[in-house]
Amino acid sequence: MSEFCAEHDRSTRLQAQVQEALAGAQPLGIVGSGSRASLGLVPAGASLSVADHRGVIDYQPDELVIRARAGTRLIELEHLLASHGQRFAADIPVPTAESTLGGAIACGWDGPARSLGVSLRDTVLGCRLVNGRGEIVNFGGQVMKNVAGYDLSRLQAGALGTLGVILDVSLRLAPLPEKQVTRAFAVRREELEDWWPRCRELRPLLSASCWRDGQLYLRLSGRAGALDQVLPSMGGDDIAFDWKALRDLRSDFFGATGLACLFLPPRTPMAIQEGETLLDWEGARIWVRGGNHPELQRAVQDAGGFLRVLRGEAVPPVVAAPDWHRRLKQAFDPRGIFNPAIFSDQFGGGGEH
Amino acid sequence: MSAEALLTELRSRLPAECLLTQREQIAPFECDALPVYCSRPLAVVLAQSEAHVVAVATACHRHQVPLVTRGAGTGLSAGAKPIEAGVLLVTAAMNRILELDRDAMTARVEPGAVNLQVSRAAAPLGLYYAPDPSSQIACSIGGNVAENAGGVHCLKYGVTVQNVVALRVVTAEGQVVLLGSQCLSQPGYDLLALLHGSEGCLGIITEVTVKLTPLPEDTRTLMADFSCVRAASDAVSAIVRAGVIPAALEMMDALAISATEAFCHAGYALDAAAILIIDLDGDPREVEAELLLVEEVLGRSGATRVQLAADDVQRALWWKGRKSAFPAIGRLSPDYYCIDGTVPRHRIGDVLEAIQSFAVNYDLRVANVFHAGDGNLHPIIMFDGREPDVLERVERLAADILEYCIAVGGSITGEHGVGLEKINQMAVQFSDAEIAQFMAIKEALDPQRLLNPDKQIPELARCQEYRALRRSHE
Repeated sequence: MSEFCAEHDRSTRLQAQVQEALAGAQPLGIVGSGSRASLGLVPAGASLSVADHRGVIDYQPDELVIRARAGTRLIELEHLLASHGQRFAADIPVPTAESTLGGAIACGWDGPARSLGVSLRDTVLGCRLVNGRGEIVNFGGQVMKNVAGYDLSRLQAGALGTLGVILDVSLRLAPLPEKQVTRAFAVRREELEDWWPRCRELRPLLSASCWRDGQLYLRLSGRAGALDQVLPSMGGDDIAFDWKALRDLRSDFFGATGLACLFLPPRTPMAIQEGETLLDWEGARIWVRGGNHPELQRAVQDAGGFLRVLRGEAVPPVVAAPDWHRRLKQAFDPRGIFNPAIFSDQFGGGGEH
Repeated sequence: MSAEALLTELRSRLPAECLLTQREQIAPFECDALPVYCSRPLAVVLAQSEAHVVAVATACHRHQVPLVTRGAGTGLSAGAKPIEAGVLLVTAAMNRILELDRDAMTARVEPGAVNLQVSRAAAPLGLYYAPDPSSQIACSIGGNVAENAGGVHCLKYGVTVQNVVALRVVTAEGQVVLLGSQCLSQPGYDLLALLHGSEGCLGIITEVTVKLTPLPEDTRTLMADFSCVRAASDAVSAIVRAGVIPAALEMMDALAISATEAFCHAGYALDAAAILIIDLDGDPREVEAELLLVEEVLGRSGATRVQLAADDVQRALWWKGRKSAFPAIGRLSPDYYCIDGTVPRHRIGDVLEAIQSFAVNYDLRVANVFHAGDGNLHPIIMFDGREPDVLERVERLAADILEYCIAVGGSITGEHGVGLEKINQMAVQFSDAEIAQFMAIKEALDPQRLLNPDKQIPELARCQEYRALRRSHE
């Protein structure tokens, strides 16, 4: 394992830094590599780096679980897993070669394969963290099923580092598919509604979908014997589509100064007037560059979804049960030292007490 | 608190038939499916709607009376045992399936809807609800969420939390909160997951939107016999290592095989030390390829015989045996006690051997029938309750087994929950700081500690006492 991942355990130092911050009532901005900064997800005045707290703690391919420290580079983990014929069970974005595991968990983002597979949250089995009392606490574990106590490890996924400093995480893995093929089809935006039911017929072999510029890209993954029988009658053109560039938001599409993402219930019709669009998750996620964010937020909320702005004009955050967010934040971090600005910006921690 | 004031308020807010206060009316609700723990509550409310739930929660909050919620009462950890000075709220009668959405592949149901009924209702759409606890003919979806129930097919399809997209929850203060949606992502903290497995301690579930799964086009079942338990255990890891995720991967040891075979003649090998029953499902061409792979791995792992079920009749028979293992063992022994722990897959062999040696120490027998694929053990301790001191021996054997699970990197419960049953072992699995963190969560969402307050999370003083007691036994 060591040939892939450098080993540095900085738990004690990180704990001491949190205790110091507590003593001085000094807020901490937690940062890994900072690779998600351009997506609006890194605290201003970041002051606690977990980037050098790294290394794999436990990986036994039989278990389909890996436990690694928060600062471990995702790319190193991917190489290690691939060398054993495995991958993360979730489709985890890796914005740059420096991007860390801890950052991925804190952001809780999912790539294009999420709609046909599992979410990152679904694959978090355990987590060790420094809480806002300066204690190191461990929840969940390395086993597939575990209902001892509340599920406080999954709660860290998408919490943007507002509940504690993640030290290490155990994630569920999956076998790499034997074969993977992408087919492209010329499809106009208004024809997509007819394509989604066809996509359902391709389950369980379909593993991702994406539509952009009049082309629908469908990825099939599975046993070679199965794909070889399905592909001849499927139509479309074989194409080397860069799914990782889409997953990691590295495609040119994502470079815009105004970028937002609409999350919708499945099969929700959504007309978008302004800006350029890219769809994945069989249309349940729509990326918009150069859009009108307040207008998009109104439209998406009417449709039962929500908007996330990555760049450009911000919109007020909408979370379920904001009061519960405040109470849980208080339960983990009574002095409010972890990423306080992110908490109020993203989870509406400011108003309506 | 004033019991009379509470009852007066409940009488004014609820239809008379919903409120039970007479001793003989309450008696059936004194325990869940772990009847060694029972007590009689002040009153039982049979809620028919969310409005009733809100009325009860609001009244209990106003009068500071503890409130325990239960669904069908099939829980195995006494998580739904009433509290004597409290109210027991039963949501079993809220059992409607409100909506089936073919496009979104979801079902919106009331908490009392029975697990298997949801799958039956979805079947005409070619869909089903994947988590299938052994009690699925009786257990309610609300209870499944509260316990984060598992089942035979969670290795591939996940447990309850991976199969629920939204909840309506009534808080300790009587407010209705909506968590989750049909979207495949949610902003903010994963509150939906926090409620799963919270054992009725954080909120009361009044509606559940579950994810439905397409019925697999093809399902094939293999049965492999082994002449030693260790080889069967190692085969489980070898299958996963070969890159196959079976829909189900179950194991039975010799004692469980002989009990079950006598009960329902499933065709199990009576001379085997262990058998594995394996379901492969999905695209027929993939299933075909994986069958070959698994058969090859089983042969290499020392299986003495590998059979493929000839048809659905034989498949159903093999599974009937597996699913009736508990009543079958009940016929061999006047009493039995089923426990629930999880361990890393590659330690299953070690743990099964340890269980047998612990059992000898207490002069008890243990049968094993369990979800081997996800390392979820269900040791069944067989005993005769008429023997003096036997309950104490059973309890100590169970504690030894659970604590061994922790020692090898596992957990004291995979799917049955902590309830009252395993509250002592929480002190072994978690440090004081961790228990205090759980308590802080509880107090954040239920500051008066009214919702199921005596379950799941032990007081710190109790933890310290228990640890001291265990040390004195060593």
